[in-house]
Amino acid sequence: MSMFKDIPVEVGVIFEGERIRRNDLQVELGGPTVDKKFEIAKVKSMDQIEDGKVFVAGPDLKDLKEGGAYPLGILIEAAGAQLDAGLEGVIERRLHGYLNYIEGFMHLNQRYDIWMRLGKKSFQKGLNSFEIIGKVLYRLFKNELPIIEKLQITFITDASKIDSLYADALASYEARDAKARGLKDSEVDTFYGCVLCQSFAPSHVCVITPQRYSNCGAISWFDGKASASIDPKGPIFAIPRGDILNEEKGEFSGINEVAKKRSMGEVTKVWLYTAFDHPHTSCGCFEAVTFYIPEVDGFGIVQRNFKGATVNGLPFSTLADSTAGGRQIDGFHGMSLEYMRSSKFFAADGGWNRVVWVPKEVKEKVKDFMPNDIVDKIATEDDAKSIDDLKAFLKDKNHPIVAKWVVEEAVVPTAEDEIAPVMTASTLPISAGGFRIILTDAKIYASKVVIKKDESKAEKR
Amino acid sequence: MTAKNIHIKIDELKTNSGLVKNLELSIGKVVNENYNEPMGPTPMPSVTALRNWDLILLNKYQSFYIPDCDLCCLCTFGKCDLTAGKRGACGLDIAAQSARIVTIACSIGAACHSAHSRHLVHHLIEKYGRRYPLDVGGLNIKVEAPITRLVTGIKPETLGDLDDVLAYVEEQITQILASTHTGQEANTLDFGSKAFHVGMCDHIGMEVGDIAQISAFNYPKADPDAPLVKLGIGSVDRTKPVIMCIGHNVVPSIGIIDYAKEQKVDDNLEVVGLCCTAHDITRYYSRGRIVGPISWELRFIRAGLADVVVLDEQCVRTDVADEAAKVNSPVIAASEKNCVGFKNRTNDPTDAIVDDLVSGRVSGVLILNPDKVGEVAVRVAMKVAPMRKRKNVLPTEEEIVASAKTCTQCNQCQRNCPQDYAVPAALKAAATGDLSKLIDLYEVCIGCGRCEQACPKNIVIHSLIVKAGEKAMYAEDNLCRSGRGAVSDVEIRSVGGPIVLGEIPGIIALVGCSNYPKGGKDVYDIVREFASRRYIVAVSGCAAMAAGSYRNSEGKTIYEEFPGGFEAGGVLNVGSCVANSHIAGAAIKVANIFAKRNLRGNYEEIADYIHNRLGAVGLAWGAYSQKAAAIAAGFWRLGVPVVVGPHGSKYRNVLLGRKDNPENWNVIDARTGDIVNVGPTPEHLFSVMETKEECIVKISKLVMRPNDTWKGRAGKLSHYIDLHKRYMGVMPDDIHLFIRTPADIPITMKDEIQKILEENNWKETTIPDPTLLPRMVRKMKE
Repeated sequence: MSMFKDIPVEVGVIFEGERIRRNDLQVELGGPTVDKKFEIAKVKSMDQIEDGKVFVAGPDLKDLKEGGAYPLGILIEAAGAQLDAGLEGVIERRLHGYLNYIEGFMHLNQRYDIWMRLGKKSFQKGLNSFEIIGKVLYRLFKNELPIIEKLQITFITDASKIDSLYADALASYEARDAKARGLKDSEVDTFYGCVLCQSFAPSHVCVITPQRYSNCGAISWFDGKASASIDPKGPIFAIPRGDILNEEKGEFSGINEVAKKRSMGEVTKVWLYTAFDHPHTSCGCFEAVTFYIPEVDGFGIVQRNFKGATVNGLPFSTLADSTAGGRQIDGFHGMSLEYMRSSKFFAADGGWNRVVWVPKEVKEKVKDFMPNDIVDKIATEDDAKSIDDLKAFLKDKNHPIVAKWVVEEAVVPTAEDEIAPVMTASTLPISAGGFRIILTDAKIYASKVVIKKDESKAEKR
Repeated sequence: MTAKNIHIKIDELKTNSGLVKNLELSIGKVVNENYNEPMGPTPMPSVTALRNWDLILLNKYQSFYIPDCDLCCLCTFGKCDLTAGKRGACGLDIAAQSARIVTIACSIGAACHSAHSRHLVHHLIEKYGRRYPLDVGGLNIKVEAPITRLVTGIKPETLGDLDDVLAYVEEQITQILASTHTGQEANTLDFGSKAFHVGMCDHIGMEVGDIAQISAFNYPKADPDAPLVKLGIGSVDRTKPVIMCIGHNVVPSIGIIDYAKEQKVDDNLEVVGLCCTAHDITRYYSRGRIVGPISWELRFIRAGLADVVVLDEQCVRTDVADEAAKVNSPVIAASEKNCVGFKNRTNDPTDAIVDDLVSGRVSGVLILNPDKVGEVAVRVAMKVAPMRKRKNVLPTEEEIVASAKTCTQCNQCQRNCPQDYAVPAALKAAATGDLSKLIDLYEVCIGCGRCEQACPKNIVIHSLIVKAGEKAMYAEDNLCRSGRGAVSDVEIRSVGGPIVLGEIPGIIALVGCSNYPKGGKDVYDIVREFASRRYIVAVSGCAAMAAGSYRNSEGKTIYEEFPGGFEAGGVLNVGSCVANSHIAGAAIKVANIFAKRNLRGNYEEIADYIHNRLGAVGLAWGAYSQKAAAIAAGFWRLGVPVVVGPHGSKYRNVLLGRKDNPENWNVIDARTGDIVNVGPTPEHLFSVMETKEECIVKISKLVMRPNDTWKGRAGKLSHYIDLHKRYMGVMPDDIHLFIRTPADIPITMKDEIQKILEENNWKETTIPDPTLLPRMVRKMKE
């Protein structure tokens, strides 16, 4: 491959899934036995970067003893007129893919948790210096992200140098996360749309805002920004936010226009912060689904890998089916796990105070983002296996939704459509009231009688 | 739940509201329907209901006939010579005759699976009742029978519901077979459409059978962690009595296992299977053993390993009874379709049958009651095993040398060998005492025995090969993952993201028989190549056995090396032949799960969706049977490309796209109604590959679809280019046809591909919402 003809090993997407086992190991970098390791990207000004330079601070690959595990820091410094610090995370996460493209080099995890292995065979072929890895990274970054105009890469293996940089990196990750989570939809003028899923769900459009991740959980607003600036005609594109039409529900004129155009008029109005009336549509690969439980007027949430039935008796597959395919279904909502960490998470419906049931695996992941006093009031599969259990649990814990029940009990009709009538009155004239019917020597033949459950009586809200 | 033939008679009924006298109420069928999906345009399609769709595909992928025979000898006007454009007495030319044979073959295949399923359904209803519920994956599966729902519009919930489904299939097969009678269908395209139709029915037949047996026999249910089971002759404990079951219909084998368990002798004997019955034995009983594919029949019997041979149906060598008699193995024929000339002893006292078989008074019996088969087989095996003392008819090494010396090097064996192996050279070497070439033959031999039939000196060549390879044979101790059945809805949802983001380049299904040009290792290599590259690889039937028969450098089988889920780098064994239906089923479910397309009676729309979007390719590397032809035809109608190994050319027909003809590759963009040229994606619907290498490269190309996202296309192209370079030694010459926008170019190859695009005068195009059906163009709603 001409782009890498001076590189002693092959470089290509095909090596992404390659695993390097202990027996084939030349050296391990980072990983569970090494305390301090990190990879970080920093956006700098143009004059701070020596374009194409690869620095190695400390022993190089060829100086490391075979079979050992060593600390490593990777510092990517980039500059470009259109780059800002908000894209650091995007640049940084490219490292995982790029390093795995290298034949005989494996990269796992991210940030302060990285774990890399170099295979013996590739080492013997000549992949014996970080300079070579740096060259590969440099070319891939410049090729895929033309908004990076200048780039320099530093590999640090000197333990004393890692110490100070490590602390600095941790602080940067924290600051970046705080900033990303603090960024509000109302503070930006551009959202991003993603139609990658249209290849399978032709009428679905994902709207990605600072406070709402893509349904699949794979694309943040920052990712959207990076992709759209690289390829504005591509499947991830900018949506000018437009006017705020309804701040509470999360309605923006820009989103409505795009939704209408991209869904061929199927969807004309999107409310980002609610599961009712005009919820965001769902593709098929969302990480979790929210479902309204009319009996308690609250939301259940279930993630894709949850085994078994949820509190209303339905499993993920059935609930997911209720909302997939780019449709707006009142009371159902496919979403990412990350959206649950957003302060706009169903904000118009009461946020976490409206949630009544969530599997413990999910609860554990997002409980730091729930209001403190609600965490124990939301049931998990251990607390409630049926609606009756759930009602009792919510009452017992005095979940805020309970207060609403008293008011609504008189209004909400109970749904009693569970038993399908064998034959309805209209199809069985004999039972018509008020008449005396006398049948003598009657013969009734039917080649087929179809009995259907009357769905019109199903209540949703 | 469906009830049939309800009849109520009331002589007199007095109530407050009325008086009824002599009322007779008769209802043919009561359907309690809680299937809310709206009915599509073609429930239970007639022979011509989907003809328009077929013609769209058959015009895009034109039939190229490969007449395996120039004559037609089907009626008494013949034999008719159809060479050089001549027509036969009925007026058919060679193209139509070839097309007709394809349709006949597919009909035989479809009849075979459907009759198998019919027997299963009859048997299971008798045993468990019509109301026995179907369950193929509990809560993880919402659509239990995707093909059935798609084609017939029926949502089967109980065993009894499968009756109606099969009735539809049986009628269609009859209609199609009738159309092949002399003086009926005349046109090649129409024969093509009819082959598609009967192939579609074949998939329903398979689905019915497998969901019935999964439910009733409680097989693994969409379980990625289905147990690892023993595979290979070496895995059989030869110190115990061995019952060997051959065929595809597991019912008699289950009779055997149940009886052995009941008598608590199951640990004292080995129940082993050959061909798909083996898969289904292990789905029921994980201590069962898979000996191998059809090709292992002769070697297992001649080595004297089977104390009792039980035959059910399909792919059973018809000379098994003779072969078994040579080693004193009693035979029980257990299927109406395969009675082998034995006396029907179904209603005789068990003791008498056992006695007759043990004493050798009769060499075999026909027993059509599976429970009785179970008792007879177990009792006979326990008794004859010590007496038989493993009689085998394999020659000694001295006998091999002596026998080889009689060889005149006439080459008839090689000429008759389907794989053209150098048998004469191996015999020549053997005559000097060098058995190494015979040992090499053991590794690749498909066990058909044609060499022996051809030998004018009556050398038992196959036995020579088996004896020489004995050491390797007894070392065959590997693992297969027991057939997991369907793919769960949740698994499909989980791969949606990775597929659109390009992390999973495609879905490959290796199915079918073992007529391999160079042994089963090719199958293993192909599976491993794609699984290592993070494709999803589904396997079934004999291909699943071949895949499990080899180990990697760490000594792990393919099923230990890769996970069993429908996931990136997963190698999932769906199960036996009839379990192939889950592969098409998974494709159908994608349309339902991601696009929320209705399935019910909505064949054309779903096939259009699958054809244009789902990067799936079927490979039957060793396809030999009519059933394999029918399975392929079912995939053709869904628009899924199928590849076969070299012997597949004898199916007489391939369906090839012309990449040199741009008009071939126009699709409609459903968003705009515009015609968009998407390049040859997929290039062919049915093609024959000569070598493993060519096959791997071709598959990596055939997974491309018009809807690929740029990330998806870049990933697929990376693999295609890499594999082409690796196996063909050069860059492919058609890269420019697959690049729609600059973003499609794999980033690690930008420079060189840019150059190729310039040389080929490449122009950027768009990625459409692709369809071949004008009615699918969406109108902007106001």
